[in-house]
Amino acid sequence: MTPRWRVWLLVGLALAVIAAVIYFPILRRRVQRAARLQQQSEEQARRELTLTIPANPGQPRVTTRLFWASGTEDGVLVPTTVELPLSDDPVLRAKQVLNTLLAGPVDVELRTLPPDAALLEFYLLPDGTGIADFSEALATSVPSGIQSEQLAVDSIARTLEANVSQVQRLKILIHGQETETLAGHLDLTGTFVVNTRATPTPAKPAQSPVTPATNAPAADKTAVEPGKLTPGNAPGKLAQPEHKP
Amino acid sequence: MVLDPAHGGTDPGARGTGGLRESDLVLEFSDSTRRALEAQGFRVRQTRQGNDDPSLDDRSAMANAQRGTVFVTLHVSSTGLTGTVRVYTMTDFPAETNTTGMLSWDRAQAPFLELSRKLGDLVQGQLALRFKGSPGAAHVAAVRQLRTTAAPAIAVEVSSVTVEDRAALERMAPGVADAIARGVAAFRPVYDASPAAGALP
Repeated sequence: MTPRWRVWLLVGLALAVIAAVIYFPILRRRVQRAARLQQQSEEQARRELTLTIPANPGQPRVTTRLFWASGTEDGVLVPTTVELPLSDDPVLRAKQVLNTLLAGPVDVELRTLPPDAALLEFYLLPDGTGIADFSEALATSVPSGIQSEQLAVDSIARTLEANVSQVQRLKILIHGQETETLAGHLDLTGTFVVNTRATPTPAKPAQSPVTPATNAPAADKTAVEPGKLTPGNAPGKLAQPEHKP
Repeated sequence: MVLDPAHGGTDPGARGTGGLRESDLVLEFSDSTRRALEAQGFRVRQTRQGNDDPSLDDRSAMANAQRGTVFVTLHVSSTGLTGTVRVYTMTDFPAETNTTGMLSWDRAQAPFLELSRKLGDLVQGQLALRFKGSPGAAHVAAVRQLRTTAAPAIAVEVSSVTVEDRAALERMAPGVADAIARGVAAFRPVYDASPAAGALP
């Protein structure tokens, strides 16, 4: 390499360093601005999701019953009556009442659902199954325990029962996915009875602080599970292994 | 008897502000209950002895493999009136058209609901005598652990990890253990008289 080429090479490198020194702060500012914009849009999306569905101002106000925890009795739900301009459409109506339920009562101690949980979507199937899709905060922020998880689900089911007659069963999804439990205890793999009048009367219902929301494991499961059991005439009798010839 | 101290391993369960963890506390309750049951003449197995976390199905499988067993899963809540204890049994199962004559794992508790509720009421009655403010009869709830258990099965939940002093919960352990042991002992003749008792091939 001749000395002249060496000079050009050094000049080129020096220019690249100068360009990098000038461009690096600009690049850093752009990355920071993009991150801020993304954060804002996520927050905006969350706010939009948690907002109560706007009702038609001309819509007449109807008496709405929302179920929150009792302030006097442990583990019990009590209805609170408010006047809301609810939609006639069952899906919009379900969104309105659930968003109001999520917004919580005046006394925050009586909340049954975490304040940061949001209803992402609500679907109503032709057979009367309502599918409520909540944000992950419902599972991560609800107090862990059988009592608290049951109160959370029952408050949703009872509020739907009182205000949206078309919903007969409730399926809860977390961020679009079926989860095994709400927060380690309550079974979310099945559906909960919402409209108790539309379901067969259980043989011997046990006592419950509120109308029990029957959990029904999905009936259409076809996957073969280990350890099949048979009730036979004597419940508890484990199935005899099949003897193949 | 199969005793199930809930949670464990990476799953601490309910956590109190004072650092109490449900997974630790239920081990203590389980030890006390095991001793009380053994004093009543029961053979007892635990689904976990230390800080491990068997799956929910593995815990049920331990009970399902035993003859004429009774399953009790122990919990400490993060809510509820401090110093009270509640018993839960599984909710009703929907009717299912079963053409195979086999009961699926997912519905293993279905044939035992009535027995579970008798057991639950007996244990809850004993707990109500010892812990003021506790209900007089068992509640129903869709407890995932109970659904796959093919035996009379109850969940016992103590309130709560929010206590400021861990000793307050530890003082409850002997009473909870004694109530469970007496409830199970009272249930024994009911279970023995049922077709389900000891009915493994």
